[in-house]
Amino acid sequence: MAGVKPQPVLSPQVQRLAALRILMVVATKRADGSVLLNPVWFELADGYIWVNSNTRRSWPKHLQRDKDMTLLLMDPEEPDRYAQIRGRLAEVIPDPRHEFIDRLARRYTGKQFRELEPGEERITLKIEPLAATGDLI
Amino acid sequence: MAVELSSKMQEFVKEVFPAFIGTSRKDGSVEQVPVWFEFADGSFWINGGTNRGWFKHLQRDPRITLLLVDPKQMFRWAQVQGRMVNWAEDPGGEHINHLSHRYFGRDYQNPRTGRIKIEIEPLRVTGSIDGWG
Repeated sequence: MAGVKPQPVLSPQVQRLAALRILMVVATKRADGSVLLNPVWFELADGYIWVNSNTRRSWPKHLQRDKDMTLLLMDPEEPDRYAQIRGRLAEVIPDPRHEFIDRLARRYTGKQFRELEPGEERITLKIEPLAATGDLI
Repeated sequence: MAVELSSKMQEFVKEVFPAFIGTSRKDGSVEQVPVWFEFADGSFWINGGTNRGWFKHLQRDPRITLLLVDPKQMFRWAQVQGRMVNWAEDPGGEHINHLSHRYFGRDYQNPRTGRIKIEIEPLRVTGSIDGWG
């Protein structure tokens, strides 16, 4: 409907959870159908979830193949409060000057990211949240 | 075939934090939830209600992945690829009560009926506890 602002997919409670300096667990699938779980740094901004990875890791390769993923946020102080988010890969953005991973590192550690290893390439993954379930809907 | 946990892992799994589990839905997507766990007699043990989605998934595809992360030091983590090898009713909720004591040091506060305990055999362990493999 024209003029009606769409409701954000993530509720205010989930947005508050996402503002904490907690890790996010990204679930992807290997080619054999088994599940891979990885803890990652993230940021929620402009309605998207942003993460960053070394291009050699398996999980970003799975995401570029499948696009769909499941994400989990949990407050370690209150583990009953968690949100499971279904997301879809919207864009892969090269991070050649490691600006985005530095930004994430500052969010989590207050410092720049470590020196990149020889040949290490970073990419930023922009993820569109599609739906959230859990005790924080 | 089940693997034995390294001595570092055996210490890590004694720490108290929830595990994240991942199971496969029929449509191929992954369900993720945090659960209480314990490691005993070479297996991981979790507890749930028979109506939980993840338990239904496991009955169809017994493969399950557990992610264990120290919430205070996120770089300390381990991923366990496993398989449900057994499940049994938890009559009287003895097992969930046991887990409640591991996590909170007190009796389980919710109804103890309709619960099951699930045994997961570890098949492969990766992550930072054993060094990057």
